[in-house]
Amino acid sequence: MIVQKLGANFNYVIATLLFCIGLFTVITKPNLIKKFMGLNIMEASVFLFIVSVGAVREGSAPIVVKGMEKGVQFVNPLPQALILTGIVVAVSTTALALALMIKLYEQCGTLDADELKGMEE
Amino acid sequence: MRKFLIFLCLAICWVVFLSAVVEMPPFGDPANITNRHVVPRYLEEGVEEGGASNIVTGIILNYRGYDTMGEVTVIFTALAGVLAVLKREDVKTSTTMVATSPVGPSLIVTTVVKLLIPFIVLFAVYTILHGDVSPGGGFQGGAVFGASMIHYTLIFGLLTYMRKIRLAVKVPLESAAILSFAIAGFIGLFFGQKFLTFLMPALSHEAQYLLRHAMLLLIEVGIGVATGIIFGSIFASLEKVERI
Repeated sequence: MIVQKLGANFNYVIATLLFCIGLFTVITKPNLIKKFMGLNIMEASVFLFIVSVGAVREGSAPIVVKGMEKGVQFVNPLPQALILTGIVVAVSTTALALALMIKLYEQCGTLDADELKGMEE
Repeated sequence: MRKFLIFLCLAICWVVFLSAVVEMPPFGDPANITNRHVVPRYLEEGVEEGGASNIVTGIILNYRGYDTMGEVTVIFTALAGVLAVLKREDVKTSTTMVATSPVGPSLIVTTVVKLLIPFIVLFAVYTILHGDVSPGGGFQGGAVFGASMIHYTLIFGLLTYMRKIRLAVKVPLESAAILSFAIAGFIGLFFGQKFLTFLMPALSHEAQYLLRHAMLLLIEVGIGVATGIIFGSIFASLEKVERI
């Protein structure tokens, strides 16, 4: 029964799994770029989750063409619009973080979080 | 050992997530709560009110126009942050790995890139201009446009890129998205309505339809150009190496 329900909600299962993988990367990897890639995986999982919430089985893309018969089942357009916003913001944060990392590497010569800890003074 | 403990904690977390997933409404069911609240109205009235056959575009630029305006500001702020940290590239002081490398790019690579770039840009223009009738729009087309510039810079080096796209052209275009939003927003104020509204009751039906289309197109083009140029600028300032 539970397996059946999980199978029906397969997208959510994968989204949560991706979230955990991303969090694992963020916690365990010492390299800052790898940490940030983990954060990007977490972002991707959230995007997958929210887009999946709006999916409709057999629904077509939400584009209304003139002369289309009434009662066509469309996919929910709202999550798609929200995720489009989210993706662009994710790109912006990634760019800013990479810029900060480049500066950090110029200053300290390393991107390893454990080594950076000893450089605070 | 530490890694294993973290793995264990996250596995437990995942099981908790899964117990929530079991309780979620079934995937893809049209009767789900998420598909019943405001969405039917968007789907029924979206074309008429939003002004675009592509309802996603209508939602982004019309119903949630303020949100998108904020988002455009976010990209612009990200660019400002990157430039504050790294400075803009400069012909006199910057160079790239490509330019200093003893091995130049191979003939095959340069030829393929030269042949490919016009088509990528053409696709970007198509995606931007067709955003209201087909999948696509300003952000997607802008990303493709930015990718074409990044592609070019990777092969031919930053100096060629700087010669092709000059600062005097680039800097004003970076703010095109915010400016186009502001212009489209003030059209509403001009007709005595709210900021960034697409409904002008003073005009006839056809005039409203035309004006709405013009505003959508203006915003789409603004977003597309600005997103592409901003991606290019961010990449250029990440890519540059200070000449010693």
